[in-house]
Amino acid sequence: MESVEKPMNSECSEYVVDMKGITKRFPGILANDHIDFNLRKGEIHTLLGENGAGKTTLMNVLSGMYQPDDGEISVKGKPADIRSPHDALALGIGMVYQHFTLVPTLSVVENIVLGYESHLFLDLTKAEKGLKGIMSETGLGVDPHATVWHLSVGQQQRVEIIKVLYRGSEVLVLDEPTSVLTPFEAEELFKILKKLILVEKSVIFITHKLEEAVRISDRITVLRQGKKVEEIELRGLKEIDAQRRMNQIIRAMFGRIQIPHTVRESRDISEKTVLMVRELTARNDMGFEALRGLSFTLRRGEILGIAGVEGNGQKELAEAITGRRKIKKGEIELDGTSIANKGIACASRMGVSYVTDDRMGEGCVGNLSLAENMILKGFQQEPFSKYHFLNRRSIAQHSSRLMEEFNIKASDPWTRVNALSGGNIQKLLLARELSTHPRVLVCCNPTHGLDAMTTRFIRDRIKAETRQGTAVILISSDLDEILELSDRVGVLFRGEILSVSPSDEVKREEIGKLMLGIRN
Amino acid sequence: MIQISRYLSAISSGLAILAALATGAVLLLTVGLNPARVYYELFSRGMATHLGITETLIKMAPILMVSSGLILAFRAGLWNIGIEGQFLIGAILVGWAAPTLIRVLPHGVALLILGLVGFLGGLLWAVIPAVLKARWGLNEIITTLMMNFVGLNLTTWLVKGPLRDQTVVPPQTPVIPLQGRLPFVPFTRIHIGLVAGIICILAIYIIIKKTTFGFQLRVLGENRKAAIHSNINVSRVTILVLLISGGFAGLAGANDVLGVKGLFQAEWNPGYGFASIPLVCLANFNGLAVIPLSYFFSFLIVGGELMSRAAGVPIFFVQVIEGLMFLYFAGGEYFRKRKAGIHGASILL
Repeated sequence: MESVEKPMNSECSEYVVDMKGITKRFPGILANDHIDFNLRKGEIHTLLGENGAGKTTLMNVLSGMYQPDDGEISVKGKPADIRSPHDALALGIGMVYQHFTLVPTLSVVENIVLGYESHLFLDLTKAEKGLKGIMSETGLGVDPHATVWHLSVGQQQRVEIIKVLYRGSEVLVLDEPTSVLTPFEAEELFKILKKLILVEKSVIFITHKLEEAVRISDRITVLRQGKKVEEIELRGLKEIDAQRRMNQIIRAMFGRIQIPHTVRESRDISEKTVLMVRELTARNDMGFEALRGLSFTLRRGEILGIAGVEGNGQKELAEAITGRRKIKKGEIELDGTSIANKGIACASRMGVSYVTDDRMGEGCVGNLSLAENMILKGFQQEPFSKYHFLNRRSIAQHSSRLMEEFNIKASDPWTRVNALSGGNIQKLLLARELSTHPRVLVCCNPTHGLDAMTTRFIRDRIKAETRQGTAVILISSDLDEILELSDRVGVLFRGEILSVSPSDEVKREEIGKLMLGIRN
Repeated sequence: MIQISRYLSAISSGLAILAALATGAVLLLTVGLNPARVYYELFSRGMATHLGITETLIKMAPILMVSSGLILAFRAGLWNIGIEGQFLIGAILVGWAAPTLIRVLPHGVALLILGLVGFLGGLLWAVIPAVLKARWGLNEIITTLMMNFVGLNLTTWLVKGPLRDQTVVPPQTPVIPLQGRLPFVPFTRIHIGLVAGIICILAIYIIIKKTTFGFQLRVLGENRKAAIHSNINVSRVTILVLLISGGFAGLAGANDVLGVKGLFQAEWNPGYGFASIPLVCLANFNGLAVIPLSYFFSFLIVGGELMSRAAGVPIFFVQVIEGLMFLYFAGGEYFRKRKAGIHGASILL
């Protein structure tokens, strides 16, 4: 057990959490592949990575929600067998989930003692006293008597944090805490976290936002596709070094995944503008401004790559263009005709198609067959239906043809989509959208989470489509994908597009910086 | 894939029935009755006597109609719990209109119109929940459930007040003369409601499986978000489905007034809605599977009544069997889903 490395020896005992070789498999996915992760007392250690990188799974292992298939966990130097969130809490590890676990109709104090009452009768005055102690110590201010549903999201999050502290947690795990916050609320949260580590608490911060990670962390561990790819110490670094480290992180996060490359052919892109977006402003689902007056044009047969760290307005941009989201200001014109705020029907009739990255949520219906999903958008047209009756035969034929063309592997067209692999589902979505011969195709992360073969197929298919004159907006957090496919590249940052330039003129590092909002 | 899962659900429904009967046998033993004798009485009287068969087939008609409406709604992911209210409103409108219409119109025409009146009555009772759901997303489970109470009290008031037949003592609508009621299927004493019920359930089966409307409601029921993204008019489908669903309950009301009771009576509530909800679940929302199951459910009700006198077992015993069937079925579903890897823990992912 005793380590020989002398300088590390003193630090070893300081690890409040030490996870070694954690492996967790789900059907078809290796979510965590021998990950080492540790946390010192009084530090903020960030788990950074794209969606699906395995961050939340790793923390669910720590909080006892999942049992690891392999690996060991020790807490404060002692091996720990964490079988439930209750066990984790007893060891002083408290998790603050992305989705809150508060009861909206109860007050703050009531929520905090909920499930932690030790006596038959509630002693709310005692609870309140404890609560006030925590609040004055950490600067977390909330009215203890307020009813939870009256509170803003930011305040509710504070209640969650207080709740975990009240149960005596020394290690706080925060899962994507800023994803629900306004920029201002996020700032407040960072201040609180800094205060927490002053009172000897330790924080594990999960995020996919690089800039946040760099700003508040003492250490960053980067995960990609279930593997730990980098661990970077930031404490006590000088500004310049920090810059260099940042590039290192960018490389780790978005760097090369081995995908066989095809040479980019030079194509003649017509000068004819198909789509024009002017001063587009729109809100996200929480009512914050997600797009702030962005403008660009798209030419016939062109692929415009939109790079950026997720959550900078990607989804909102795609939805605004494809008629799924109301815009507040600005204009979207297709061949000179406005399609802004005209709805999905109008956009798709005019030839705007959308391949969503929420494949099972928005893209298809898992419990229906492949064939039925293929006609999800065209079922009202002949030959798929006539006089309101579906034509089963032509639906199956249509589907078989597309299955062959797109190399979708399924025993027959009536196979349920739930039984297909992720790659085949993505091909199904692409096939459906392309079968309508769109003028503009909007793709979000089209190869996210797919194997190399399928990735290659999908990228080639998108490229092939542009030869028919289809213009493509490729929104992707995969920088390699953007650089490989795009004719021009724009970077989306906080709802604005920073610089659009031809892709052979841009450098990877520059895009990486723009993705963090650093302009030269 | 779909074929296999259909066989599996047929098997699990069958097993649920057997397990319920077995548990029922244990219960009978504990109170000192001979299960073999009780089941003998139940099955022989319910399935092998003329009376048992006839009564069972008559009972099937409203259950089939109500189930048609339920399947339509459930497949669209809309939980119409308001069958009782919709049934009563349909029934009382028919009870009120029937004596006059049958007198002035040719028999066949009058019956068709009365069927329509019943359907519209049930539909009317679904309007408020449908609009609230489609416009403002109000939970239809609560609104339809609440409309039951309103329907029950409204019909009771109507039949005790404005629509009451003043010539008799009990509060009821005027009796429809025997020759004005639903005719029998030739050579039997079963009225044609059974035929109508079977037509309803087959029509629903075809609508769901073969029409664009059915396609839209299935998409909506399986994945509301995908329905919106596929440009399906979600509010239109929601309203139509709930209205039609209510209509079928109202039609069942017309069936019972015209075929069985011949009038609308105060405090009358056969409770088809809550009997049929477990039934359509056991049928896995498949119209064709509802036909044999509705036969079995009706048989339990009728057989239980006939048996209770002979075997000295209260009629509530068959309700226990019904409840157990549903419990076992739900348990089976749980294990089936768990085996398929769809279980509660996935929510935490």
